[in-house]
Amino acid sequence: MWVYEKKLLYPVEVTTCNPMLARYIMEQYGGADGELAAALRYMNQRYTVPDKVIGLLTDISTEEFSHLEMLATMIYKLTKDATPEQLEKAGLGAHFVNHGHSLFYENAGGVPFTATYIQSKGDPIADLYEDIAAEEKARATYQWLIDISDDPGINDALRFLRERENIHSLRFREAVEMLKDERDRKKIF
Amino acid sequence: MSVFDERMALLKKVQQTDFVVVEWTLYTDTHPDDEDALEQWRVAIKDAAAARKQYENKFGPISLKSAPSRQALEVGWRWNQAPWPWQL
Repeated sequence: MWVYEKKLLYPVEVTTCNPMLARYIMEQYGGADGELAAALRYMNQRYTVPDKVIGLLTDISTEEFSHLEMLATMIYKLTKDATPEQLEKAGLGAHFVNHGHSLFYENAGGVPFTATYIQSKGDPIADLYEDIAAEEKARATYQWLIDISDDPGINDALRFLRERENIHSLRFREAVEMLKDERDRKKIF
Repeated sequence: MSVFDERMALLKKVQQTDFVVVEWTLYTDTHPDDEDALEQWRVAIKDAAAARKQYENKFGPISLKSAPSRQALEVGWRWNQAPWPWQL
């Protein structure tokens, strides 16, 4: 089970309304390499991986939900005061007529989230390599977002998230080595 | 310091100390035999609990794992009360 904590993992400060930037950040909210996909991917894989790596998948999945909340906060704050005209100029006209000012799980191009973004092979090595790739793709996306954004508060939070992807990738690589060591030991005895 | 500033400062302390726990948790997931890490993890959990208590005494529970103080209830604290994290 999970318990809600009434706080963000890391502070998100936004001073200027910027619906265009909000739209770009949606790539990490509801896109293929985004936080929703990450959270659901690991949470689903954890049931059929060896006991040694269940904790890691559970903990990283849980952290990804806190990243999702940070991104939602960014999108909400960047768009809450935007007029329909400003939203339309930012390419969010179609979003507005369907969703108003509410958030939606879609990527920067407006494509809705789909479970086909997630892989699950029931083979721990295949799944963990998938997870490493997912973290590296998310890290790259955060870099492109930082490159395109000039909002200092948003960039501070995006840099934090980019570094978390690095750490998750590293931990998944270590998990692969743990499983390989175990496999090699079994061969010896 | 205004009440709002004090709240944000104490909240930041909670976020910092909780983050240390998150980081040591992931590290010990893949280094379960690292005794130094396990000890630092124990310290981090204690530090986070202390920072949380400081915030919650004044501004009410962050999660329903803590009972609201009588003082918080008397000044009108309720779980469903704003501000929520994205409103701060």
